[in-house]
Amino acid sequence: MAYLEMDNVSIGFGPPSNRTEVLTDVNLSVEENEFVAVIGFSGSGKSTLMSLLAGLQRPDKGEVRLHGSVIEEPGPRLGIMFQNYSLLPWLSVFGNIELAVKQVFPKFTASELKKHVEHYVEMVSLTPALEKKPHELSGGMRQRVSLARTLAMKPEVLLLDEPLSALDALTRAVLQDEIIRIWEEDKRTVVMITNDVDEATLMADRIVPLTIGPSATLAQEFPVTMERPRDRANLNKNPEFMKLKNSVTRFMVGMNKESKELRVDNTIQMPDIKPYDFMPPTRTSVVVK
Amino acid sequence: MAESAKDKVKYKILKALDVSGFTAFDPVIRLIFGEEPQKQLQAIVKYLVIPFFFVLACLWIWTWMGPRHKTKSGEVPTPDIVWESAVINDTIADREEIKEQDFLLEGVEREAALAEVTKEYAVLSEEVKRLKELVATAEAEKAELEAKAIGPIQEKHDALKAEYKLAEKERDEGIAAISEEVAAGKADTASLIAAIRDDGVATDAERAELSALKSQIDEIRSQKYKPLEEARKSYDKVADAQFFMKTRLEFLDKRNLTVKLDEAQSKLDGYMTDLASAGSAKDALKIAKRAVKAEESVDRLEGQEYASAVTIYHQTKRSIFTVFVGFFMAAFVAIPVGIMCGLNKIFMACLTPIISVFKPVSPVVWLLIFQIVVGAFFPDPENHALLNFLNELPLISSLEINPALIFSACTVAMCAVWPALVNTALGVSSIDQDHINVARVLRLGFWNRLFKIVIPSALPLVFAGLRISLGVGWMVLIAAEALSSSDGLGKFVWDEYQNGSSLTFANIIMVCFVVGIIGFLLDRMMIVLQRFVSFDGGGTSV
Repeated sequence: MAYLEMDNVSIGFGPPSNRTEVLTDVNLSVEENEFVAVIGFSGSGKSTLMSLLAGLQRPDKGEVRLHGSVIEEPGPRLGIMFQNYSLLPWLSVFGNIELAVKQVFPKFTASELKKHVEHYVEMVSLTPALEKKPHELSGGMRQRVSLARTLAMKPEVLLLDEPLSALDALTRAVLQDEIIRIWEEDKRTVVMITNDVDEATLMADRIVPLTIGPSATLAQEFPVTMERPRDRANLNKNPEFMKLKNSVTRFMVGMNKESKELRVDNTIQMPDIKPYDFMPPTRTSVVVK
Repeated sequence: MAESAKDKVKYKILKALDVSGFTAFDPVIRLIFGEEPQKQLQAIVKYLVIPFFFVLACLWIWTWMGPRHKTKSGEVPTPDIVWESAVINDTIADREEIKEQDFLLEGVEREAALAEVTKEYAVLSEEVKRLKELVATAEAEKAELEAKAIGPIQEKHDALKAEYKLAEKERDEGIAAISEEVAAGKADTASLIAAIRDDGVATDAERAELSALKSQIDEIRSQKYKPLEEARKSYDKVADAQFFMKTRLEFLDKRNLTVKLDEAQSKLDGYMTDLASAGSAKDALKIAKRAVKAEESVDRLEGQEYASAVTIYHQTKRSIFTVFVGFFMAAFVAIPVGIMCGLNKIFMACLTPIISVFKPVSPVVWLLIFQIVVGAFFPDPENHALLNFLNELPLISSLEINPALIFSACTVAMCAVWPALVNTALGVSSIDQDHINVARVLRLGFWNRLFKIVIPSALPLVFAGLRISLGVGWMVLIAAEALSSSDGLGKFVWDEYQNGSSLTFANIIMVCFVVGIIGFLLDRMMIVLQRFVSFDGGGTSV
């Protein structure tokens, strides 16, 4: 039995008369301490998949199980890191993390609490910004606070919902390394959603593509067998990386093409008719001898 | 680069200006600190100098138009008259304070003050005498000038009047003659009618001519003679000061607390000695009865305070107090109810009809309802436990809380409750879904969710609502005070309107400015509070 699994999960939105199926028959099983990347186009239902895993939404059909028991409601065991940070703007960095830690570890003494929070803030290298409010931080820093908050809850499963999509390329690379470092230090199960093939290939043990919605489902997975630690600088020279990246990209692009071809063409070809022109022809050039 | 101490001060001031919404003065501060003088001067001209001249232009238009509009209460007062009335109100307040001091002075100090005031009174009396003469001469001058101007016209008027009187008599005789002829059958009836009609037309024309001359005379009489005006003005001023000195003398002498006490005490002592040597039982009883009465009056005097006349400052203080009582009542109800509305859709649906129907109701109607409903709790205001308790409290005892104040405060609360309630409900119900998700993941309990997520997130909107509430409350209060005769700015204008002194109109306009400026300051205060609780650092509208 897998550690975290989705069993024939389907979900849709809207009233019965105007229903949109978002996910249909999704099956996914994640082993303990595995790093799985789900990759898909925007609008394909990635965030919905993450909400299901976190228990924020219940599936219409099928089950999501952790340790074999059905996930009924969200909780700190399933540490989700939201796409748009979700920091509480009226609390400082410390306050945001403290709120989570206090809730998850109610028995901590004040000094233990402080030490715990500071440890995780240091882990994402934000100690100088400890007392800052979220609106005083850059996007990357906010994302790191969000990561620290999620990690500080010591979740069994770490669910990362496009954690780096809102960041610029440089900050993104820094945070990717950071997430990998933290994961390697403190092994646990990770499901990450992304739309970046490079990122998925660099970070994950396994890449699972999500087909194009509506009624999206998970397609054939790509195992990443590259040795860790993976060296970012030499990745582009690594034949295995290039091969995997190309095949994933080809699959994704092909899926896109396929879906375009599948779409029923409703346009009607009209005959090319021009009205008869009664105007005398205008002179276009004068030949001078 | 390290920031210098000077820069730190500068940014602190700029931040304070930003928070309090006085960003227009930003370039002045920057200029003082020597930052890009050219740019700052431009900004100052654009955003301070031009608006300043605009306000000046408005004042000029007011000054120009005011005297040209005649009303039942006289001319519309110009800005300088309004300012004068403000100064007069200030003087009245100062004098009340001095009189109170005089009332309480005792011993040597009292005697010293009494001597000084007597001296001043004498000086002022001399001055008054002198000025009175000046006024009299100016009046005589004016009368002379008038006589010169009016004389010929008056003569013409009188001559015409005599002439017309004769002409009328002649016409009457003519008509009498015609009517006799008609009676005798010699003349046509139509000629009689025509003669009477002609007589009417002629009389009207004569009357019109006479009244034109008369109004010419009146016009000359009503013209202001400048030396006389000035003499009168200076006379009034000194006479006013003299009168004040006279009252001071009274308060230092006959009406002084210690003097009155001494008098009563000596009376009591006299009775006591009389009582000791009383000859008969009947006398003893009579004297003892008087002694008891004298004792009572001593007791009464000991607790006596100076009965100050109501000053504009007292009225303003009371108005501000009342608006805050109403405002806090409103906030006390609106915030919890608003939170419940925001949290629970059913609760919101229940309250929606009530909010929709009662929100547009006029404060006047509320005041009447409160006078009846809340008035029932104060059948005997003099001996009401709550009112007595409030009036014993140290800071607010001077405000003399009475049922009228409570009605006004209730009216303010009733009208101020809606914006705060609606905004709180909106703030709570429009909480970010992400924040709710955080609460769900953390499995926060109801109270934690309420105090850690819901309320902080709704706070900026709550304060925006409270700001509107305070503004509405202040506007409503003035009307409520006028109607309920609760001492305050509203009652002040209403009394002015009813009394009709020469300063009435100016006082009303002065109150208009006082109310406006206080309202503005209250609003600014709420903006600052709102800025402190809003976490995004965003600005608020002015």
